[in-house]
Amino acid sequence: MDLWAATLALWQRYDITARTVEHLSMFAWALALSVVIGVVLGMLLYRREHTSGYVFASLNTLETFPDLALLALLIPLVGIGAAPTVIACILYSILPIARNAYTGLASVSAEHLEVAAALGLTERETLLRVRVPLALPLIAGGVRIAVVFTMGIVTLGGLIGAGGLGVPLQTGIFNNIPEIVLLAGLWVSLLAVVLDGAAGLIEKMLHRRYGGW
Amino acid sequence: MVASTIVLSATAQHVLLAYSALLLSIAIAVPLAVASLHSRPLASAVMTAANLVQAIPSLAVVAFVVPLLGIGYYPALIVLVFRALLPIVKNTWIGLSTVDRGMIAAAEGIGLTGWQITRYIRFPLAYPAIFAGIRFAAILTNSVAVLTAIIGSGGLGGLILEGIAGSNVTKLLSGAVPAILIALTVDRALSVMERRLEKKK
Repeated sequence: MDLWAATLALWQRYDITARTVEHLSMFAWALALSVVIGVVLGMLLYRREHTSGYVFASLNTLETFPDLALLALLIPLVGIGAAPTVIACILYSILPIARNAYTGLASVSAEHLEVAAALGLTERETLLRVRVPLALPLIAGGVRIAVVFTMGIVTLGGLIGAGGLGVPLQTGIFNNIPEIVLLAGLWVSLLAVVLDGAAGLIEKMLHRRYGGW
Repeated sequence: MVASTIVLSATAQHVLLAYSALLLSIAIAVPLAVASLHSRPLASAVMTAANLVQAIPSLAVVAFVVPLLGIGYYPALIVLVFRALLPIVKNTWIGLSTVDRGMIAAAEGIGLTGWQITRYIRFPLAYPAIFAGIRFAAILTNSVAVLTAIIGSGGLGGLILEGIAGSNVTKLLSGAVPAILIALTVDRALSVMERRLEKKK
């Protein structure tokens, strides 16, 4: 049980519990905000074909920026710490969420819309009761991509003083302490895989609930 | 001010590292995807690995290499190849394997061999999916190549990290701006290449 004791000692020495809490709270903020912004943007864009072209082109451009470079560019604007980290996560996650939401909302079949019109649903009701439920599987897929991006960028936040699990990783790399690199690396990977799996399960549930229209 | 020779040599290092890794990944990924076409166990192993690895943050992937392989140029190259490999394999396999059954049956009907079907039917139809994977991988290798500066690969990430550490905005930008320009140029070039291939088909 030497390994276990050593792991526990490392865990306490580098405050992994506190780092995990920091990490997950940044993660939760970033993901919640990007889901809200992305879905609302998708809703605003699905009827404005010409505007959506420009918006998606600029989001695409943003997506090609290396993540560390984007974080670095945010430093002169908003300083260091959690703020630039969360902003970078949101900037990266808006595209997959908005694009999927837009595609889902815009590609609802004509028959569904005719039925909605025949039932006398207003524009708003059609959006909320027909388009959104039908687009849910796609939106969930976008959110799942965002989960992965967000986890990665929050880890990078350690380099610009945001705290989180990037800190022990960075300490380990710079001071050449392989044990803490392995521990923190495995832990953050495990978190990412578990959260991605959880998002996958939610996606499957939503699909079962709404996918069979 | 950062001397332009420093920026130029960092840019050259960056391009060499990121895109030799991308080429290596393509060279490994495409045959692997073709092989997966003929072997169900291989296909499911590759897809599971691809899904799993995609959820791991890049910094963690970079970090894993340190205790295993040490630091420097070659460990960084391995990280990049590994990172770029899976999206390409995944997309190539999806593209190749979702070709319309009828097309394959027709090709068999006119007496094409399995190899000819892959070459003349599956590949041309899979180009959009394959290129989507390669474009994603190209962006990914560019951004991970910035990160691998942490483990001493050199390149533009070095300037960015020094800029962050010393709160030197000029230095930071002298690394970040070329990295962004490289990403945009490569993405553009790949989309042009894709359109050419599409037309030929």
